Amino acid sequence: MISLKPRSILLISAIFRVGLILVGEWQDTHMEVRYTDVDYLVFSDAASLMASGQSPYKRTTYRYSPLLAFLLIPNSFISRCWGKFLFSASDLFVGLFIRIILKQRKVPDDLCTYSMLIWLFNPFTFTIGTRGNCEPIVCAIILWIIICLINGNVVQAAFWYGLIVHFRIYPIIYVLPIVIFLDPRFFRYGTKPLLSDWTSDPGKARQINSELIDKCAVCDVWKSTFTRSRILFGLISGTVFLLCTGFFFHLYGWEFLHEALLYHLTRTDARHNFSIYFYHIYLNYERELSVLEKLVSFLPQFIVQLVLILCFAKDLVFCFFVQTVAFVAFNKVITAQYFVWFFCVLPLILPWSNMKLKWKGLCCILLWMGAQTHWLLWGYLLEFKGKNVFLQLWMASLLFLAANTFILIVLIRHHNYGPVFRQHTDLKTTKTT
Amino acid sequence: MSTLQCNRLCFHLKLAILWMFFSGAVFCIHVFASTTEVETNSDAGKFIMKSYFENYESLHDSSFEDFMAHQLSSSLCQGIPDNWNVGVRLSVRELSLIGEGSHRHLSSSIRLQIGAASIPKLPAHLCEVIVIQRLPLGVFADPFELQNPHKHKAFRDIAVFGDTNLELPSFQSNRSAVEFHIDAGSNILFMQNNGTEFNLLLPLHARYQPLDESGYSVVEIGEPDMLMRCSVEGKQHKQSCLFMSPPNEKTKSTSATVAWKIPAGMKAHAGFVSVITFVTALLSTLSIVYASMFWSGTKVSKT
Repeated sequence: MISLKPRSILLISAIFRVGLILVGEWQDTHMEVRYTDVDYLVFSDAASLMASGQSPYKRTTYRYSPLLAFLLIPNSFISRCWGKFLFSASDLFVGLFIRIILKQRKVPDDLCTYSMLIWLFNPFTFTIGTRGNCEPIVCAIILWIIICLINGNVVQAAFWYGLIVHFRIYPIIYVLPIVIFLDPRFFRYGTKPLLSDWTSDPGKARQINSELIDKCAVCDVWKSTFTRSRILFGLISGTVFLLCTGFFFHLYGWEFLHEALLYHLTRTDARHNFSIYFYHIYLNYERELSVLEKLVSFLPQFIVQLVLILCFAKDLVFCFFVQTVAFVAFNKVITAQYFVWFFCVLPLILPWSNMKLKWKGLCCILLWMGAQTHWLLWGYLLEFKGKNVFLQLWMASLLFLAANTFILIVLIRHHNYGPVFRQHTDLKTTKTT
Repeated sequence: MSTLQCNRLCFHLKLAILWMFFSGAVFCIHVFASTTEVETNSDAGKFIMKSYFENYESLHDSSFEDFMAHQLSSSLCQGIPDNWNVGVRLSVRELSLIGEGSHRHLSSSIRLQIGAASIPKLPAHLCEVIVIQRLPLGVFADPFELQNPHKHKAFRDIAVFGDTNLELPSFQSNRSAVEFHIDAGSNILFMQNNGTEFNLLLPLHARYQPLDESGYSVVEIGEPDMLMRCSVEGKQHKQSCLFMSPPNEKTKSTSATVAWKIPAGMKAHAGFVSVITFVTALLSTLSIVYASMFWSGTKVSKT
């Protein structure tokens, strides 16, 4: 049993990250292989351009919101490590928010601590921020949105949601589950929604869920679709998104729109990456893919997202997790930084999983890491040894998808599904009489 | 950590972010409300390749040779001062490709020789060697990598011209060229010089190649083009002119080109790769759909 206090965990994590940043700077200066992510150099260059009054999009391969370049302007006059400290601070906030969310749902202290540790001392996640990748900011905001929603603060949740969709497109996949989640049976004007507390009893969780389904008549669902909360959420998040996008379009024109938004919506990359589609795209790059081919490649993603939303929206956090895993796994381009998107939500669902670390949990971890390592080995041979191993690399990406699918199914199988909220007692009483 | 402390921390965080956001908005509006000057190269005629791309859309060997032969002829050192020829010779002593895989270094060893021709009284001058490495389709140099001051401090200037898109495959990109300016020293034309050597190490990266049945594509990189530019004090003001080695006196290195074998996709794979990719995606989809519907707890209670 771990007896560390959350404050101590955060302090140790902070010191550890500062140390990593300093070691990274030393490595960059003295060694051939850099510690810093190439993307960080792109962000910094874009920030320098912005600081001198120019468009950040003059920096080739800068494909982010100008907000990111703005946040890194101090790189030019305080320290080139400013951005890394900012991202690492966001990293720490993710750990803090994990604890806040779990404590609000009455998860026992030891499970909260383990969940914090899973994020803060995961080698994958602490290197992301210290190497200069901006994903921790996205993760922190996503978790903050969850906190706002579970506290019934729809306006603030909508504001941050609009902002984060502008910053990074992928959270748009959460719009439907959030709208479903804003169920009028839980979100009532002037009343804080009632959280379902954590329980270690899977039977009790299923009972809560089945009661909810019994009361859910089709006509009630239709009548309650356009509720105050849902309309407010849609209006505010849409307005924030359009305002941010419009403002930067006014400043930077079509270049901003193309590089920061449209590029991500239409991106296909023939270069090798974890996606099963990379070799198919490369082999067909010289000809235009037909509409049918594009549709067929989009359908798996669409169907999986729709089914996951319909099945799990009420358990919002778990829905976020499974959606993100599936979104990354079926995407046309997969890079390692995308894994952080679901890593930040993983600690939030583990207290509701009845899968034990020994041995099922360990097997899942080893399977996922093994599939990834297998792919990386072939990738190394292709990129750094110049061997033609395209076929083997593609097969490794098929195996990686299979591993992701298997692990996702296992997590679904072992999850104690239950809605985040429970009904107010007066509504329950009215319905049963 | 108590709820009150968490709330306080979160409140301060929100304030900080709001302050940053509004400051940024004001900053951006202020910067763009005032007239801003677009940064221009203070030495407009400095780069030869810049002049080339002002006259031509893309890099072709024939266009470039034509440019070197005709466009630059007016810049050659002939009239200032009158009739002096110091026999400048620039040659490539060695050209090789170092490393493996998609990221390598092109190593060139350049020799500068000043001949023993009779030299009339010359004014003070400052010279630089200009090396232009034309790159074939299929490889590129990263302009931001070349700006790394630690690795390239020996050079006065480096720039990449042409297609600098780092992500496109070779069949969708155009050629590029890298121009180096190396300080050759001052007043070097006053004395005979048997040979000063300059070593260049240019990091290069392979693009994705067109499909090839053999599974590989061979890209050949030729010798760089070299000139020397000297700035002399003229009667009225400072002027510069170019020295080029006469074509019939160009000394060739032992290997005029280096070959880079780059892996390429094979067309024979296209059919079954597409089919298996989509079948795998379909199977994964069906598995997840089945698991979600079976284990999501969306079953109607029997009570």
